Amino acid sequence: MTSGEKRVEIEKELSFGPVHPALIEPYRIRLFVNDEIVEDCELNINMAYRGIEKLFDGLPVERALLIAERVCGICSHVHAWNAVRVIEGGLKIAVPPRADYIRVITHEMQRIASHLILFGHAFEVVGHETFAMRSFLLRESFMDLISYVGGNRVMPSVPIIGGIRPRADLTESLKRVILERVDEFEEKYKGYVARIIEDPLVMSRLTGIGFLTKEDAIKFHATGPTGRASGWDYDVRTKMDEYKPFDFNVITDESCDTKARIVVRALEVFESLKIIRQAVKNLPEGPVVNRSWKAEEMDFTTALLEAYKGELMHSYALDSQGRIRNYKIRTPTPTNLAAMEHACVGDHVTEAILTIASCDPCLTCCTRAEVVDSGKSSVLSDLEIVRKYGWRK
Amino acid sequence: MEDMPLFVLGLFASSIVAAAIAILYSLVLPGVERKVQARIQQRIGPPILTPGFWSVLKFGYKKRVEPNAQMPGLYRSLVYFGIGIVVLLFLFTTPYWWAVLGWGSILGIAGLLKLEEVLYVLMGSQSQSFLSTGMPVPDIAKGSKHIGIKREFVEQHSAERALKMMAIGSLPLYVALLVPFAMARSTMISSVVAMQNPGYALSSDWLSAPIPSSPVLFTLPGILAAIVYFVGYVMLLNEKPFSILKAKIDLIEGGVLEYASKLRAYYYIMRNVLMFALSSIFVTLFIGIPFDPFVPVMMLLNLALSLLLPLMLAALVAFSPILTFRQIYPAAIGLSAVGVLALIISLGV
Repeated sequence: MTSGEKRVEIEKELSFGPVHPALIEPYRIRLFVNDEIVEDCELNINMAYRGIEKLFDGLPVERALLIAERVCGICSHVHAWNAVRVIEGGLKIAVPPRADYIRVITHEMQRIASHLILFGHAFEVVGHETFAMRSFLLRESFMDLISYVGGNRVMPSVPIIGGIRPRADLTESLKRVILERVDEFEEKYKGYVARIIEDPLVMSRLTGIGFLTKEDAIKFHATGPTGRASGWDYDVRTKMDEYKPFDFNVITDESCDTKARIVVRALEVFESLKIIRQAVKNLPEGPVVNRSWKAEEMDFTTALLEAYKGELMHSYALDSQGRIRNYKIRTPTPTNLAAMEHACVGDHVTEAILTIASCDPCLTCCTRAEVVDSGKSSVLSDLEIVRKYGWRK
Repeated sequence: MEDMPLFVLGLFASSIVAAAIAILYSLVLPGVERKVQARIQQRIGPPILTPGFWSVLKFGYKKRVEPNAQMPGLYRSLVYFGIGIVVLLFLFTTPYWWAVLGWGSILGIAGLLKLEEVLYVLMGSQSQSFLSTGMPVPDIAKGSKHIGIKREFVEQHSAERALKMMAIGSLPLYVALLVPFAMARSTMISSVVAMQNPGYALSSDWLSAPIPSSPVLFTLPGILAAIVYFVGYVMLLNEKPFSILKAKIDLIEGGVLEYASKLRAYYYIMRNVLMFALSSIFVTLFIGIPFDPFVPVMMLLNLALSLLLPLMLAALVAFSPILTFRQIYPAAIGLSAVGVLALIISLGV
């Protein structure tokens, strides 16, 4: 310990999980505490390997994209969309504007559903079951709409290479239904948000805990609403061509606490509603898919997209037969993890778990690589994989 | 003295009838509570008898699971002590017990309630479930930034929180309890009831229905104390917003985590009877209607009015988050201050 470092006295360690009724995903929290105050935190992930990146290797690109959608149940559309954006960017495949609009509509619908899941989970962690259940009740409107568009509530499978599936095209009647549902939802949602903000007990639980400064958010690359709640106005959507036609605000908050993270998401829902309305009303006419492309050799290409929890990266290459090589996915959670560990220092134990939940972790999506070698399955770190098999040949 | 055998007989008979009715009735209360919560949350909710009655019966038939406690025998016995304590707590407020060695007094009530609180500390310090430190995860082998730190089970942390709740969380209830006694200028329950319900006497006729003429609840100190009592009731039951010692998000169930099968059924009985006992005490002390098993109208009135606090609790639970000690300390201090104010006013009445 250097002389300038603050000495931290630790009384004991409290650990929760990976099997725990309140942690909805398999991860382990180690809190180093003094009485009730958290002095340090360690989040251990890597409890569930699915080996999904390995599954992509050697698959024809069209088939592989179905797997991409299954990386996450909450963010299914964003993974599918970003997976097709990689090849569309790499092979310069033009996407019809109507398809882009429908991709954006599905994306924003799922963003609302995702934020409402977070409210449900966060209020369950706060202990307010009524707010949690109302959130899930509100979410149903958008789960229905997603199924009307894509034919499925969780895996709508809207994007394909060069556009969207023709069955996901919006009819005039569906456009009317979407606009009506959006209006109905907005009215109910305003009441819901007002009740949360006016509830002094809930606000006392959210305010003044889980501080994450803008500098720390940038340092840890805490993207998405987590970073925006610390005043960092970083949103990949502002740089995307697909979002150029739409007028929306990037919501930021300077409060840097748990309340800010909830409020930013609450306000982002209104921006998503705004984008959906614009997209439905101004939906261009024309085809929804461009089929004039051919899978060919493609160098490593990366695509970034603003997922609901932060920045999402997909990257892969194609060989000469159009088969995928070295698929790499970086979900928002790996970079947000360090921010979560940092933000809950100084909180009470019960608050620390709320702080982690308010950063909207999606931990099972974090670690995917599994190596099956001579009949024995083993899990290797990225560094070990590189040492054993070399760097992305 | 020649009445003594008759009194002892009456004491036994009333105790058995009262305890049986209390246990059976208390098994309905969780269902009522859950139903109200569900309706608030726009859900149908479980059938009334399921959470209290059928779940107790179900756990009674589950395969026995040995707790991993440091002293399993002691850990198991704590729940039996708990049932004994809450049943006695209730019996002490029934009229036959008022004359027994002064147990039907504020000292009897407060003493047993404190014992009940101590149980949670003991349960927490004993229990060692595998859901926290005992979980076989190789993070010890992987190391940590902090080496050689004591690792604690979540139940042990719950015991520490139970100790804090004992120190400050239960204060409002005890202050509120004092108010009716201060108004009656006596420590005996009989005096408190006599002050509010002069028509009631131990020798009341079977079919008599003496209505209280001046309930404590309808006075200024009474209403203030009733509010404080209700919040204290929530604190003592460890229900939201004061359920920090069994907060699901970190401590899961706290010290009672390892009670499974029959022990879990007994724990539910203990918790349910405590809920009813505290409600019945409220009706006895603040409204002047004691639970007299030999005066059916009084007993039924007490049972009906004892629903008041569980119903209010259900609404509060549905609309409350779990508070941490940041909020519990000021809330307990503020409520105790209101209780003290009620006490001061009651002394002047």
